[in-house]
Amino acid sequence: MTETLLELKGLEVTFKTRRGTLKAVDDLSLSIKKGEILGIVGESGAGKSMTGAAIIGLIDPPGRVSAGEVWFEQERVDAHPERLRGRQISMVFQDPLTSLNPLRTVGDQLIETILVHMNVSKSEAVQRARDGLAEVGIDPDRLNAYPHAFSGGMRQRVVVALALATEPKLVIADEPTTALDVSVQAQVLDLLKKLCRERGTSVMLITHDMGVIAQTSDRIAVMYAGRLAEIGSTREVLTNPQHPYTQGLMASTPSVDAKSFGKTLFQIPGSMPKLDALPNGCAFNPRCNQVHERCRTERPPLMSDRAACWLMETAS
Amino acid sequence: MHRFFDSDFFYAFRRSPIAIVSLIVVVFMVLSALLANFIAPTNPFDAASLNLMNGFTAPMEPNAFTGETFLLGTDDQGRDLFSAILFGLRVSLFVGLMAVGLAMVLGVLLGLIAGYVGGWLDTLIMRLADIQMTFPSILIAMLIFGVARGLLPAELREEMAITVLILSIGLSEWVNFARTVRGSTMVEKEKEYVAAARLIGLNRWQIMLRHILPNVLGPVLVIATITLALAIIAEATLSFLGVGAPRTEPSLGTLIRIGQDFLFSGEWWILLFPALTLLALALSVNLFGDWLRDTLNPRLR
Amino acid sequence: MRSVPSLLEGRNRPLLRYARRDRPLEICEGSINIGAMLLIILRRLGQSVFVLFLVAFVSFMIFRYVGNPVDNLLGQEASNDRRDALIEALGLNDPLHVQYFSFVGRALQFDFGISYRTAQPVADMILQRLPATLELALVSAIFAIVLGVVAGVYTAINRRGFIANTILSSSLIGVSLPTFLIGVLLIWVFSVELKWLPSFGRGETVDLGFWKTGFLSVSGLKSLILPGITLGLYQMTLIMRLTRAEMLEVLRQDYIKFARARGLSDRAVYFSHALKNTLVPVVTIAGLQLGSIVAFAIITETVFQWPGVGLMFINAVYFVDIPVMSAYLLLVGTLFVIINLIVDLLYLVIDPRLRDGQLKQARGQ
Repeated sequence: MTETLLELKGLEVTFKTRRGTLKAVDDLSLSIKKGEILGIVGESGAGKSMTGAAIIGLIDPPGRVSAGEVWFEQERVDAHPERLRGRQISMVFQDPLTSLNPLRTVGDQLIETILVHMNVSKSEAVQRARDGLAEVGIDPDRLNAYPHAFSGGMRQRVVVALALATEPKLVIADEPTTALDVSVQAQVLDLLKKLCRERGTSVMLITHDMGVIAQTSDRIAVMYAGRLAEIGSTREVLTNPQHPYTQGLMASTPSVDAKSFGKTLFQIPGSMPKLDALPNGCAFNPRCNQVHERCRTERPPLMSDRAACWLMETAS
Repeated sequence: MHRFFDSDFFYAFRRSPIAIVSLIVVVFMVLSALLANFIAPTNPFDAASLNLMNGFTAPMEPNAFTGETFLLGTDDQGRDLFSAILFGLRVSLFVGLMAVGLAMVLGVLLGLIAGYVGGWLDTLIMRLADIQMTFPSILIAMLIFGVARGLLPAELREEMAITVLILSIGLSEWVNFARTVRGSTMVEKEKEYVAAARLIGLNRWQIMLRHILPNVLGPVLVIATITLALAIIAEATLSFLGVGAPRTEPSLGTLIRIGQDFLFSGEWWILLFPALTLLALALSVNLFGDWLRDTLNPRLR
Repeated sequence: MRSVPSLLEGRNRPLLRYARRDRPLEICEGSINIGAMLLIILRRLGQSVFVLFLVAFVSFMIFRYVGNPVDNLLGQEASNDRRDALIEALGLNDPLHVQYFSFVGRALQFDFGISYRTAQPVADMILQRLPATLELALVSAIFAIVLGVVAGVYTAINRRGFIANTILSSSLIGVSLPTFLIGVLLIWVFSVELKWLPSFGRGETVDLGFWKTGFLSVSGLKSLILPGITLGLYQMTLIMRLTRAEMLEVLRQDYIKFARARGLSDRAVYFSHALKNTLVPVVTIAGLQLGSIVAFAIITETVFQWPGVGLMFINAVYFVDIPVMSAYLLLVGTLFVIINLIVDLLYLVIDPRLRDGQLKQARGQ
């Protein structure tokens, strides 16, 4: 369980726009161990999805990976990420309604994926596709059904089956439950978690939902404005957040219990800066309630492998 | 006027070389057509002034017999091609504009009625539009032209040809107007100013024409421009096929038809210059229309 | 010179409305009910028959009331007795609906009356000339669809390439040139100047008994090239631009991104996923364009003096040969209705979402 599967070193994704070059992901370093579920949390635009896309080389122009290294199983892979794509690393996208080709049957898409990556016969692939469907709780006889014949939750199950069909070592799940009904979200998450645990597959779970992260992941990485703000085990981060941004996130997450009934939710003042108007120093400093002079001039590095915040220094 | 030059519209116009060039070409052509009487060196339809000896004179070369020189050459009958093109341009533009006017009035009225009154009238008009849409408009124009010729006594056919041409192209192009106006009318109808107009006791026609019509005219302008290009091409096509403007009043299409006959004998200019004129005219109207559509109403794309 | 968007805006829109959808119409259980399917087909058939009757009515009105059949058949100087006899024989005194139904009945037996100009049966004239038009239409349709789809896919995949941009800008000129000018210019270059290809007629035809074909002789094939290009060029640019636009739209969809994420090769993504989804609306439009090809054949046939039904129609308009005009309208109208019907049904077969969506409607859910 301790062996590192994926490691990002100083990853940087930039976009050339009319207003100059924007850094969507800025000097991001983190790693995922074998069998581990890493949650990446942050507001929209924080660079979570870009990170996922960068790993498998699916960033659309004008964006590109401009610096940094991606290591997978002790090999550097950022020059040819497409070699891993679908085989070693697969993805689950946000919207199951649009992730499947509407004009091809579910089975067709499953079998196609299996045949591309696994060295098996056609009939073997069909069998695997049936097994895959059964595993995610779908009647294997619906292999010949078109995507529109499934509900949203069922479709996301199909997408999960597609992602796991090639027995990848890592699944990048980009907001896998955001588009689903709340009651279905938990089912799909549990399914994903269960199947990955059984196979020892690692998961990078990208979401803006603290609740989803808390339920599912082993470790949490918090991103803000393209940078890593805080990282640590789920327990550490949730019970003892170090970065003021994480603290704010925690305080603003609604909880459903008797105590909080009728209370106003905490709000972090202001909003995340646009990428073309980042402040100097720590990107969070204009909204931070514990800001001091240094935060405005100098960018904090990740300290003690926990948080990128000058407060860490004062504390220790 | 000052407000116009300050507007976004004028700014967009100044920024688009295509819009500027195409508008200049169109204005230039319209002016030459209007002033044909003054610009043209000869009157191409005055049989008395034609000299058959001048026939087939190449452009810019003196005629072998008479020594006269013509800017764009002459046709088989010694008619100055430059003058013939100017007058042909006039016929083409006249037919095009009148046909678009007819299509517009018809389409806007039917669209207003369909959108405002609704009910079975709406169904009837839109069904009719749907069916007409199934067929290419040039085919419908040909058919109307043929029927109209059949209904006219033989001696009036040549005389009425231009009118019939306008009628057949106009009647074949109303559908786009009607559909757009219907759509906008249905939106406008629900707005409060219409309810207010109804409250003060205006009748349907007053509401439709005075209140709704001005608010749906924007897209109509765009469609009119694009339809003008279509109408000019349709007219040229019909005339080229010999079922349009008569030889006594040739349009650009008629001139091209005449020119085709002389291609094999090497008199290329009789074909080339009318064709280039037609192309420049239709292309600029079309480009200007496209630009207008993109600028005024991106939704129409 | 109908610009592409404005054409799509108007004509053929009802179908395109479905074609544009990239999301399912409704989510429903995907069992296909043969009975409900039949109901849809029957409904579409009913609509088609209605339009056919309408077309027939217009043809009938033209046939009956434009021009004077008696004058045309007997000449102005005929005696009143002979006139009355003919009026009686033609049933011109019968009530309107009786005349209409006898007109439709005769049309169904392929009897369209006698041409005023040639005094031949109109049906014979049509049968004689139909092969020429159909062969021309076939050649240009194949030219338009094959080249249009290939160029459209190419320009969509190589969006920023030099060749793609060249193809695109030259297609703008293709759209702007009126059909007849394209024909005239082709004649000028390839017949007059280069003397490579014939400028008029079908060349040598081979008589198969029921069909005179130009496909079996060299001169026949050579004669097909210029008219085929002239007729197909506009449709080709249309199909190309449509294919390109649709392909770009499809390539933006999530399922394409997901297909890439599943590790499929570019080839598989483009040709096995994107192309099929692109072709659904393209097939619709291309199919509907077949009708336009037959209609625009009038122009091409006139330019190239091609002895088809289009040229026959133009001559009929010129000489006010009413029975021929009426028959042509009926023929082309029927063709359009049939093509529309086939394309609609084909569409049901291709797109499972539409099929099930309409089924659900048909079941009244």
